[in-house]
Amino acid sequence: MKRIWPVLAVLLLTACGIQPSGVTGGGEAPTGVTRGVTLYFIDAHGDLTPRLRRTDHLGTIPEAMELLLWGPGESSLRTEIAPVTPKRVVVTSTAGVILLRVPFTAQDVTPLGIDQIVCTALAVHVQGGGPRGMKVRIGFTQDTPESGKQRTCPLIK
Amino acid sequence: MTGRLWPRGLRARLLVAVVLVTVLGAAAAAWSSARSARNALVTSTQQRLTAAVAGQIGAITPQLTYPPDQGALDRLRAAVGVHTLVTYRGLRSADGTGVEPVTGALRSAVRARNRLVTQRITAQGRPWLLIGTPIVITAPDGARTPSGIEVYTARDLSGVERQVDGLARSAAGTAALALPLAALLALLAARSVLRPVRELRDTARRLAAGDLGARSPPQGADELAELTVTVNEMADSLQASMAAMRKMQADAKRFAADASHELRTPLSTLAAVVDVLAAAADGMEPDARESSQLAISETHRLVRLVEDLMEVSRFDAGTARLRVDEVDVAGALRDCLRARGWLDRVELEAPDGLLLRLDRRRLDVIVANLVGNALRHGEPPVRVHVSASGDQVRIQVTDGGPGVPEHVLPHVFDRFFKADAARTRTPGSGLGLAIVLENVHLHGGDITAGNADGGGARFTVRLPRDVEDR
Repeated sequence: MKRIWPVLAVLLLTACGIQPSGVTGGGEAPTGVTRGVTLYFIDAHGDLTPRLRRTDHLGTIPEAMELLLWGPGESSLRTEIAPVTPKRVVVTSTAGVILLRVPFTAQDVTPLGIDQIVCTALAVHVQGGGPRGMKVRIGFTQDTPESGKQRTCPLIK
Repeated sequence: MTGRLWPRGLRARLLVAVVLVTVLGAAAAAWSSARSARNALVTSTQQRLTAAVAGQIGAITPQLTYPPDQGALDRLRAAVGVHTLVTYRGLRSADGTGVEPVTGALRSAVRARNRLVTQRITAQGRPWLLIGTPIVITAPDGARTPSGIEVYTARDLSGVERQVDGLARSAAGTAALALPLAALLALLAARSVLRPVRELRDTARRLAAGDLGARSPPQGADELAELTVTVNEMADSLQASMAAMRKMQADAKRFAADASHELRTPLSTLAAVVDVLAAAADGMEPDARESSQLAISETHRLVRLVEDLMEVSRFDAGTARLRVDEVDVAGALRDCLRARGWLDRVELEAPDGLLLRLDRRRLDVIVANLVGNALRHGEPPVRVHVSASGDQVRIQVTDGGPGVPEHVLPHVFDRFFKADAARTRTPGSGLGLAIVLENVHLHGGDITAGNADGGGARFTVRLPRDVEDR
């Protein structure tokens, strides 16, 4: 009987208050820093290829889109998106799908050009910590069946 | 527990036991629920804080220049909040709030695991949650590499602790609420157990006091009811055997009374005849005279025996009555001795003028029997000493003989008790001391038999000064 009381007291005390603990895992580390944005262009062989544009930060998908629409600049790469002004892309994200509203019609881009847009948007999304299984829908200025398609990037699986 | 601390009464023991068990049970339940509630609360709070910190970091990183300069680190720290430390290689951004949001273990875990980690510590007397995380660079293909930026931040858990304390307090309060209820239940249980026990005790007391008709009604069908039934059965058989015994006793007494009464008439005739025979005895032959003298003495003894028997029967039947007069004790005793011719053989010491209210005839019977015994069985000198003290008068009769043997003393007042089994033909009836005892009791006094310091037998009669008529 005499031994029960201290045990009881200790048990009651441990019920109250918050005790220090050891180091425990708390999940994935945040991400999002990068030396630049990855833009996708077409190389001499006609293949989709990533190109790092040094911006010292990741930025947003519309910023990356604007850089993409400016083109590859002085290099051996080319773009298959017709030049357009203004270069603003409106981004709406819903569950599992990123909707890009681009300022041109479906006739202004080739399938490779569409891949350029999808891959660049997905790269920003993944580098910012998003899941890689995200789909991308491109909304053209003219309503065509192309606008309804959910697309993925062939280089980002 | 020691016997001294443990209460003796059944009620108190039941009360203590029930209250102890209830309080322990309630405390254990309260403790375990408070504990699990605390764990759930702490876990959810930690998850919320961790997610919030990760979200705050993730919201600013896309706009953060990399590699960062001091300004970028400061912006990151400001975005995460107070108690935050951000490091990148040699650079370091901290706020001077006093709480160091990093421990060695946390730092090495951040570097080794390359994941977000947490640790609870106590600092400045308060509980804190430390969150440490590296910021990683994710390649477009999903590969994650450390960026070298580490963020450490501390979140105050005092609010959670207050909530936990509140939980514990309310749990203790609930447990305390059970206390009066438990005491009440214990009292009720004790009452239901103790009431039959008390009734049984009262019944046993009445039985012990002589009320053989006492019974307690059995209630219910538990062990106590069985015990009650058993006690009642015991009382029944006791009552039956006592009644049988009383009847036998009454029969025996009535027989003695009837027999002695029936014997008296023929014996008076016989005594008259014997008196005639005694007058003629002198002229007989020596043989015939001796026989007739034997017949005379035995007849007188028989008459005395029958008289004694009738006296005892009157006592037994409760018909003996006191006839109280104002009596001068010294005079009465002297008359008693003189009437039997004992004045010269007995020393009488009695204060003159001692007046008592008592039955003169019975006082005569008492003293005559005691002195007669002393003269017959003891040696001279036989002494009668009267003294008065307070509200009682003491009459002591002592002799100079060998005294009464110790083993005989308790039986001297028994009827027909003979101290010496071989000496059966003593002149006494064997009822003398029994009659003395009854007479003393009738006066409300008592009598004791013992031995004087010198060795002689000593009988002490104590009579109250004022005897009520009864």
